[in-house]
Amino acid sequence: MTISEQARVEDRSIPSQPELPPALEAAGISKAFRAKRSSLKVLDDITLTVNKGEFVSIVGPSGSGKSTLFHIIGGLVKPDAGTVRMNGKDVTGEQGHISYMPQQPALFPWRTIEDNVLLSQEVQGRVDQEARENARYWLDKVGLGGFEKAHPHTLSGGMQQRAAFLRALLSPQELMCLDEPFSALDALTRSDMQRWLLNLWEESRRSVLFITHNIEEALLLSNRIYVFSGRPASVLQVVDVPFPRPRREDIIEHPDFIQLRRELSGWMRDEQQKMQGHRPLK
Amino acid sequence: MRRWWSLVWPPVVAVLFFLIVWQLCTSLFHIEDWILPSPADIAKQTAEGGGDLWGHALATVRLTLEGFIIGTLVGLVLALILHLIPFLKSALYPLLILSQNIPTIALAPLLMIWFGFGLLPKLIVITLVCFFPVAVATMGGLKQTDRMMLNYMRMIGANKSQIFAKLELPHALPSIFSGIKIAATYSVMGAVIAEWIGADKGIGYYMMLQKAGYRTDRMFVAIMLIVALSLLMFGLIALLEKWLVRWKPKQES
Repeated sequence: MTISEQARVEDRSIPSQPELPPALEAAGISKAFRAKRSSLKVLDDITLTVNKGEFVSIVGPSGSGKSTLFHIIGGLVKPDAGTVRMNGKDVTGEQGHISYMPQQPALFPWRTIEDNVLLSQEVQGRVDQEARENARYWLDKVGLGGFEKAHPHTLSGGMQQRAAFLRALLSPQELMCLDEPFSALDALTRSDMQRWLLNLWEESRRSVLFITHNIEEALLLSNRIYVFSGRPASVLQVVDVPFPRPRREDIIEHPDFIQLRRELSGWMRDEQQKMQGHRPLK
Repeated sequence: MRRWWSLVWPPVVAVLFFLIVWQLCTSLFHIEDWILPSPADIAKQTAEGGGDLWGHALATVRLTLEGFIIGTLVGLVLALILHLIPFLKSALYPLLILSQNIPTIALAPLLMIWFGFGLLPKLIVITLVCFFPVAVATMGGLKQTDRMMLNYMRMIGANKSQIFAKLELPHALPSIFSGIKIAATYSVMGAVIAEWIGADKGIGYYMMLQKAGYRTDRMFVAIMLIVALSLLMFGLIALLEKWLVRWKPKQES
């Protein structure tokens, strides 16, 4: 079964079935980094859930430890307290359970685009002819047809980002973690990519945890938004985004959307100011 | 093509100019042949190949290649071992640097005493000069793996050998090659020194013979051959690099 077929099958099972354990449950995650004498607390009792087939976003001021949370979920860093469960199984500190898209595309320059996109499958097991055909099908679908044999440096930033997204999408793991994937792009490319991601996700309905500090982006894409406080990060608010799917891009002009955006922006502004107030003078 | 030509002509003209001045000086000031031969004399000697020049050259080429390959392999293997076992690295790294501070000229005669006049001591000399740049460049390249890509590999559950084969090694390739390029030119020098000290063939031996006979012109021929051989080795490795590291974005300089 190709991933596109999988997606179609899963489509019918949406909205998420409550009897299935959530794709991700992070419970009571705390983390402090210790330097010689001082200790910097970055995460304070974070609890969040991503159900199967849900798109969940985390927004928060920059430098609030969102990426650290991803490193904990990905098993790169061990939390001081708390557990990470996926599909009901405790996977705290274990690597290889998520598919991941970092801030920069981090494509491997010596691999062709096709081989880059297949990297996570290669790491997880073997790449057969079917996987290659599937990769080509998706490359074509995301507008990278004809670039299969190209090397990453020949592609524009937006195209590289799409290839990095595809690499995450074609990973065998259920949960996709996207860490501010569009932050390095210019505004125009960024809004293009948001629309692109919205369409693609509504078709594939993977479980997604998405970090951003762009409120509009979060509202447009997510089922649920966790608003993080400044450092040490804790969950300030949980917002369920009520807009029905499939969403069109013009919902950003809907009064409810504007209202929600204003509310979220207010919280974010307060947090950002608090962070700046706390910053020690040098 | 035009660009290539614009890069090439200035050094070519400079070299030609230098040769002409040299030729004029030797004939104008009547400099004796055994003090400074003219470029024309040197060219003539090269063409004649006196004193079994080409036989000696061939021996040096063979010795250089053998020593270079062994030295490079030793450097690579050593770098990999030290990279994988950090304790060994901290223990042996200072010794590696020390090994480069012992003058080859002093070490080579000792090696002759211990291992005789055969191939082995010569290969050891070349290996000693070749392995260091390769080992240092390789360790540096392996250490400087891109953090972002490394994190990515770990997150998706890649094990150590996958990280090494799919990320660290290809990432280190350009820097490994810069080490090998240095080793390629050093290997020629190492071979000549080894022959100088104890051999019955090779350019180093040829130079000793010609020096004893005050054949300065032939010594210049030998120097020219050594330079050409070094350039050739460098060029071959550069070609190999170009072929293996095709993915590297072209740098405008």
